Amino acid sequence: MSLDHTLLSNRAVRSAEIQLKTEQVSLFYGTFQALRNISLDIREKAITAIIGPSGCGKSSFLRLFNRMNDLIIGARIDGKVVIDDINIYDRDIDVVELRKRVGMVFQKPNPFPMSVFENVAFGPRRHGRINRGELEGIVERSLRQAALWDEVKDKLGQSALALSGGQQQRLCIARVLAVEPEVILMDEPCSALDPIATLRIEDLMRSLSSDYTIVIVTHNMQQAARVSDMAAFLMMEKDRAGMLVEYGPTSQLFTNPKDKRTEDYITGRFG
Amino acid sequence: MLQRGAPSAIASAGLSRSLRRRWRFGEKFIESFIFFNGLLAIIVLLGVLFLLMREGLPVLSYTSPLKFLFGTKWYPVSEPPTFGMFSFFMATLWVTLIATAIAVPLGVGCAAYLAEVAPSSVRETVKPVVELLAGIPSVVMGLIGLLLLSPLVQSIFNLNTGLCGLTAAIMLSMMSLPIIVTVSEDALRAVPKEFREASYALGATRWETIRHVCIPGALSGIAAAVMLGVGRAIGETMTVLIVAGGALAVPLAPTEPMMPMTAAIASGIGNAVRGGLQYQALFAVGLILFLMTLSVNLVADRVLERQKRKFAR
Amino acid sequence: MAVQTISKRELTQRTAFSLLVLATAIVAIPVLFIIIYIAVNGAGAISWEFLTQPPSQAGKAGGIFPAIVGTFFLMLGALIFSLPVGVLAGIYLTEYARDNWLTRLINMAILNLAGVPSIVYGLFGLGLFVLAMKFGMSLLAASLTLACQALAITITTSREAIIAVPREYREGSLAVGATKWQTIRHVVLPHALPGIITGAILSMSRAAGETAPILVVGAAFILPGLPTSPFDQFMALPYHLYTAAAHVPGMPKTTIWGIALVLLVVVLSFNSLAVFIRVRIRQRRFGS
Repeated sequence: MSLDHTLLSNRAVRSAEIQLKTEQVSLFYGTFQALRNISLDIREKAITAIIGPSGCGKSSFLRLFNRMNDLIIGARIDGKVVIDDINIYDRDIDVVELRKRVGMVFQKPNPFPMSVFENVAFGPRRHGRINRGELEGIVERSLRQAALWDEVKDKLGQSALALSGGQQQRLCIARVLAVEPEVILMDEPCSALDPIATLRIEDLMRSLSSDYTIVIVTHNMQQAARVSDMAAFLMMEKDRAGMLVEYGPTSQLFTNPKDKRTEDYITGRFG
Repeated sequence: MLQRGAPSAIASAGLSRSLRRRWRFGEKFIESFIFFNGLLAIIVLLGVLFLLMREGLPVLSYTSPLKFLFGTKWYPVSEPPTFGMFSFFMATLWVTLIATAIAVPLGVGCAAYLAEVAPSSVRETVKPVVELLAGIPSVVMGLIGLLLLSPLVQSIFNLNTGLCGLTAAIMLSMMSLPIIVTVSEDALRAVPKEFREASYALGATRWETIRHVCIPGALSGIAAAVMLGVGRAIGETMTVLIVAGGALAVPLAPTEPMMPMTAAIASGIGNAVRGGLQYQALFAVGLILFLMTLSVNLVADRVLERQKRKFAR
Repeated sequence: MAVQTISKRELTQRTAFSLLVLATAIVAIPVLFIIIYIAVNGAGAISWEFLTQPPSQAGKAGGIFPAIVGTFFLMLGALIFSLPVGVLAGIYLTEYARDNWLTRLINMAILNLAGVPSIVYGLFGLGLFVLAMKFGMSLLAASLTLACQALAITITTSREAIIAVPREYREGSLAVGATKWQTIRHVVLPHALPGIITGAILSMSRAAGETAPILVVGAAFILPGLPTSPFDQFMALPYHLYTAAAHVPGMPKTTIWGIALVLLVVVLSFNSLAVFIRVRIRQRRFGS
């Protein structure tokens, strides 16, 4: 099963600015080590894909950036996760503000059991925007950015749960966009969606990446190849801890991987 | 108001400025308030214990603890007053034992039927009825006992009055049934179906499976159910107040009128001078009552925890 | 020669099952009998006058209006004092409490609160609210006492309702930068609301039916008027029933059954309402 090279993302890496990076990060759940010594620099306003076989810790790695791992009892990290020269695991970091700046879209679309409008307005409301006119503007802008506005503009008051799976996921993206993040983390955002919805989300990702840094976890290699500028390949070692095997521009990783394990994974020999 | 997506000016200037800890006062205050409410259950329970001890223990400097617990004469208005609660204790014992003896076979049998034998249509009908029984106020049960059951008991047993321990026990058994049925049924349903299947595969009938596999497997849960039922019977007030007869002598048979501890407190407290000896004595009885139900419930909780862990997967 | 005989084991099973059915019948039938009996015998007393007039002739005639009003006030009072605590405690136990000795102690306390005899709650209310806090024999003291009794219900039902809120909603909220309390207030609580309301209704129903606590803390059989302040004494249905049945010679039986019927209707309708809401929640969440 070889990769169709014409599908590879041809996008030049726009900027070499580093926005997020991990420095020798290891993640533990209690005594179990989930990630080992990962150092990675994520480029600003690029799409970075984290790929690898299931169970190797891709989602756990992604959640380092918005400290969603904090919700798990017993989770702790060694090493640093740095955003703009600040280690976000420092003691005096405001996690709430961090999550405003680093948004997340989940694997299974999780709109609130509220109306479409209320879903998107949720974040801004919590951050103090109460003016109705202002909120309406934010909601429209976010839904347009998420390529959902035309489909829901007449149904803003309807329950979000009535939308299709693909629409719900775009709604979740709009919800994140409404708080004006810098970074959008996407944890297998298309795995619960049908192929057509998937392609729409991929188009959306491309259009968003001119303004936002996107980090996406995906187990779908073709998707990673289609969509991302940079790709990081993670793998599980014998003790089930995830480690970084290779990281580089997508086109290079998929056509000319430096590590044999990467090559084996890409060509489908395992995983 | 259309704007093309562009991060606001603050954001593009970098994340650093806004990331340091912001002191969220409101949030901290709310969390402390929530924590306090979380503790309230403990506070109230300890408050009850403390109050009972504070108002009740002083009587033990007047009457020795042994005389209080085992004395048979409760004469608050004599000169000098004597407080011996043994007849109350015996009455509680009588009604609780008989109520439990009636309610356990019926309750466990009903639970076994509902959990193992009954078709779901029957189950869906009977369960709400049992819940209905749980909802009937105790004063109404007392009324039924007074007007319907006690004449019956009186004529069957040829008594002077049908207001006796037996009548009270029968009404009490009805009030313990819902909790015994519910908890036993849960315990039976918690027995993994693999056990049953193994039994059938060896050629056992359904009844044999119930008797030798299900009930033993659910035994600790059933024991807990029984204990909770006992706790209920010990603590029930209005039914026994109305129906048990209210006699102060030590009851030697269930067909005698008697005064369980709960009824003793309820009938005496209205007349007791606040802070006086009788008042203290009644609080002391309340303390004993509280400790009895507390210990029964604690044991039942422990047993239920163990049963849950046994079958946790 | 094939003669159909019932094996001994089959016979044992049939006998055993018959006994089980008998047990179930003995459990179920008296309830229905009681309810029907009260309905039949009490219906005769129910009239517009009965429900809206105060009692006369030492309660042997007239109506029970003040008792209904008093019960209503007690239900409200118990609700006001126990629901907020119940919800906040439920929030603490689900969102903040860690798995340590304190949490186990709290859970144990909740279970044991449920098992405290109602007369003991009465003594507690007498000692604390009536005497120590000097509220006197009053609606306030009685409401607080009943609220303490209802705590176990409100905490448990609130906790169950809040735990049932899916994790995804909380994650979605936190991931857009909402604080924990904002998440609880705007996402978790609204979703848990029907379950919380169920608990509220059950606690009100419990307050309506309890006699022993209010017997000790402030209920009266006949009062000249309706309570006008929380510090007034009050009449209440269960106490009225008790006194009428056990302490008023010459009380017409129909009246007694009538009071019982009204009390039963109040308690059982609230219980049914709670069950109805519970079923609707389950249908809405899992049925569709």
